[in-house]
Amino acid sequence: MKLLAAVAVAVAFTLPIGARSAEPIRVGLVLPYSAGPFVPLANELGDSLVMALEESGMEVAGRKIEILKEDTTHKPDVAQAKAKKLVFEDKVDLLVGPIGSNELAALFAFAAGSRIPLIIPNAGDNEATGEKCSPWVIRTSFSNDQIVREMGPWLIKQGIKTAALIAFDYTTGHQAMDGFKKPFIAAGGTIVGEQYPPFGPISDFGPYLTKIKEQKPDAVFTFFAGPPATALVKQFSEFGLKESIKLTAAGWLISPLNLPGEGDAAAGVIGILNYVPAIDNPVNKAFQQKFQAKYNRTASEFAAQGYDTGKLIYAALKANGGKTSDKAAFVKALHEVSVEGTRGPLKIDPKTNNIIQDIYIYEAKKVGDKVDFAVLNRIRNVQDAPNGCKL
Amino acid sequence: MLPDPASLVIQLLNGLQYGMLLFLLSVGLSVVLGLMNFINLAHGTLYMLGAFLGLSLVGVTGSFWIALACAPLLAAAIGALFYGVLLRHLQGESAMKQVLVTFGLIFIGIDTVRMIWGDYEEAIAAPALLADSIRIWGQPYPAYRLFVIALGLVVALLLWLGLERTRLGAVVRAGVDDRVMAASLGINIDAAFFGVFCLGCWLAGLAGVAVAPVLQIYPGMDVAILIPTLIVVVVGGPGSLRGALLGSLLIGMAETFGAVLLPDFASFMIYAVMVLVLLLRPGGLLPARQTA
Amino acid sequence: MVLLAAAIGTWWFAGYAGQDRLGEIAIAAIFAMSLDLMVGYGGMVSLGHALFFGLGAYALAGLTLFLKWPPGLALPASVLLTGLVAFAIGRLIVHLGGVFFIMVTLAFGQMGWAWFARDRLFGGIAGLSGIPQIDLSLLGGDLANPADFAIVAVTAATMVYLALARLIESPFGAVVSALHRNAGRARALGCPVQSYKLAVFTIAAMLASLAGTLQAQRTGFVSPDLLVWTSSGELLIMVIIGGIGSLLGPIAGAALWTLLHHYLSAVTPYWMLIMGAFFIAIVLFAAEGLYGALARLAWRRPHV
Repeated sequence: MKLLAAVAVAVAFTLPIGARSAEPIRVGLVLPYSAGPFVPLANELGDSLVMALEESGMEVAGRKIEILKEDTTHKPDVAQAKAKKLVFEDKVDLLVGPIGSNELAALFAFAAGSRIPLIIPNAGDNEATGEKCSPWVIRTSFSNDQIVREMGPWLIKQGIKTAALIAFDYTTGHQAMDGFKKPFIAAGGTIVGEQYPPFGPISDFGPYLTKIKEQKPDAVFTFFAGPPATALVKQFSEFGLKESIKLTAAGWLISPLNLPGEGDAAAGVIGILNYVPAIDNPVNKAFQQKFQAKYNRTASEFAAQGYDTGKLIYAALKANGGKTSDKAAFVKALHEVSVEGTRGPLKIDPKTNNIIQDIYIYEAKKVGDKVDFAVLNRIRNVQDAPNGCKL
Repeated sequence: MLPDPASLVIQLLNGLQYGMLLFLLSVGLSVVLGLMNFINLAHGTLYMLGAFLGLSLVGVTGSFWIALACAPLLAAAIGALFYGVLLRHLQGESAMKQVLVTFGLIFIGIDTVRMIWGDYEEAIAAPALLADSIRIWGQPYPAYRLFVIALGLVVALLLWLGLERTRLGAVVRAGVDDRVMAASLGINIDAAFFGVFCLGCWLAGLAGVAVAPVLQIYPGMDVAILIPTLIVVVVGGPGSLRGALLGSLLIGMAETFGAVLLPDFASFMIYAVMVLVLLLRPGGLLPARQTA
Repeated sequence: MVLLAAAIGTWWFAGYAGQDRLGEIAIAAIFAMSLDLMVGYGGMVSLGHALFFGLGAYALAGLTLFLKWPPGLALPASVLLTGLVAFAIGRLIVHLGGVFFIMVTLAFGQMGWAWFARDRLFGGIAGLSGIPQIDLSLLGGDLANPADFAIVAVTAATMVYLALARLIESPFGAVVSALHRNAGRARALGCPVQSYKLAVFTIAAMLASLAGTLQAQRTGFVSPDLLVWTSSGELLIMVIIGGIGSLLGPIAGAALWTLLHHYLSAVTPYWMLIMGAFFIAIVLFAAEGLYGALARLAWRRPHV
């Protein structure tokens, strides 16, 4: 009896050691799941990220991948608190977040200070991979500048000579407009007007659109997302600007999330973005099919970013042999892998920690009684200059 | 740098339309505040419910007009439910408590909407009759915006007639001026106030459907309009119909022309107007009561 | 006393997250007490109190990141700076009553938010990170460690509590209470009502900014969300749940609301519904808030 007990104890002691060598890899998602304007984005992005990892079998080098989700409730201090919990209590190996720029400083401060890899799957503030870059913060989505700067030169080639700008009066709006302005002017264009409506709750663009009509530009370039984007597209048409002025924008203006509300008013609008559902490559086609079968909606650019982020994370984990104790090695692996994502070939630039990706210019076209997308141009391997980043 | 006359006309129209939009959004709040001395912070919630219920009605019946007619009634019914279940118990308690209960309702309202209709942005299209743009002085102007102006004016007129010319209106005004006296004269103040509250909710629901083709529908739209409507009510003078109209038009015009003429200050325009008015005329521009 | 014991107990037993939460609650407690001073004692209901919280935090960020001041010096400077701003604003608005005061404070709060959301120097909507912490190595502590920070924060909260208790019991406090109860009579007795209200307003603002600077120290970042009106609204909820007009009430309210927020949001995406219902229940059935209810249970008259 005593011998049996001793053997049992011995076995009990060895078993945990055996289990420890197959300790799961933990990925912490810190996203606004329940409050604020980004809830549907958080869900689409998060679900698609998990989808990508599931396709790879949810395991690397014998270790299972575990996903832990925490809700930031759209508040930066909560975001930071949840990130701390994930890292210090739940022992995640890396963090993914945020969606919106409002939570960026909070997560950035924590990740940079605690030396834990933070992967930004959306927020596009230029400085996060520019002047304020950190070796621990990697972005798989875009920088605001990266999205818009190729539009100006392309418009010039299409014969557009003058443009009027409009965006909300806050940093993201200004970054998007500034990013468009310089290359457009350098390519020979003229900006005939710039307006920055206050970042407020009621999106009535009447006075601004009327002023744009007075300015008589060939095209308007703008950045809006969410309900204000729907408002702008509709009002652009209602106030008659569509007849004589081309509406061009950072692609969120005509996101699949907004198209249903915009209806026919969206036809003819030209967008520039790192993703559009019409991208013709096998990865995207498979992704859209799977997403639509599951959710009965076209996958948005946010879902696509989530999916690509999942693929990048997996590739890096695999390249590093599934080891996560050395965080710096994981970041290094992220710099070295390249992945075929829904957007095309993707790579992380070691000089800025921002993604190198293709940018697409496309048009919303009326096809039958629906509005669909047609890709007009593809600019390959758009890479940010260091812009003050010293990595 | 004077704009040409066509643009000026359009900008005036823009200001008018924005003002009437604000009026529709805030008249329900103003009526309830002025006549019952009650800040219904759940006003935005009822507006949002009106919009989402209207969305479902359009989905089921395919008709914007049915939604416009019925959604406000549903909103009023929900308001009546709140009143009966919650607010009635607080009759006679401090005003602060009543306000706080409505504050709690905001939280409940937003999650209820999310649970039933989901988190995505939705849309109600303008009805076919009003979907096009009309030419004014050679410039296209959305017909639906003109409808908003007309609707606002009709609502203002009906309310004015109802309050100034009918017996119910007289009762309510008596109750506002002196509740105790009115009660001692045998007037059923409680019933009158209940009616006013339901009216306020009806107006909120109406705004929800009427404004939806312009401002879109999404969870969080309740909080989005709460501040602008509170500001309109305070600037115009709580509780007076003329005040609400004047406040809305003033802010509508200020925002419209501010956007065009003083773009750097546009973010602060609405607040600056309010602070200025409050410092110069602390009771608002046209307060209902003429007390200090 | 009980609260202090609870705090010490939590600190001892809780893991990392518990200590982090403790620091957060201590800061919220200071913030809530400052609002209660204005609302419960001064009778001025503000929906823009987060403005001063944010100003304190942003001032600290500006002084340390742009002017390179040491954080130990920047912290009291930020509180003073905010006090000056509050004094200026207060002079304009304390004579307003009721609804109008609420609206004007709301307006100022939102103006502050709008300003910081557009201002590129302060990072706009993304805010600023990398705020240096006060170096406590001489005392053997490290503010980056949540256990140490919790000690500092709880100590600060206790000191604020004691200071406010003293203030309320003092002649100044007696006048303020009288004003709250019947301003007309006080004025008739020759009291400079507005001056006292202004003083309360400024002190409350400075305490709020103290909470703000501590927050910037705890989290290392500032962002416009610190000033948004819904933050002011939630603060009011904390004070009400805890019990207006007492000092322990807001502390209890801050603790309860913070804990509920964290744990409910981990359990369900519809936590707002539960918190809204909870808040309504408190308003309906426990009007004196948590503190009042507990005090009644303990058969003692609620006092400071």
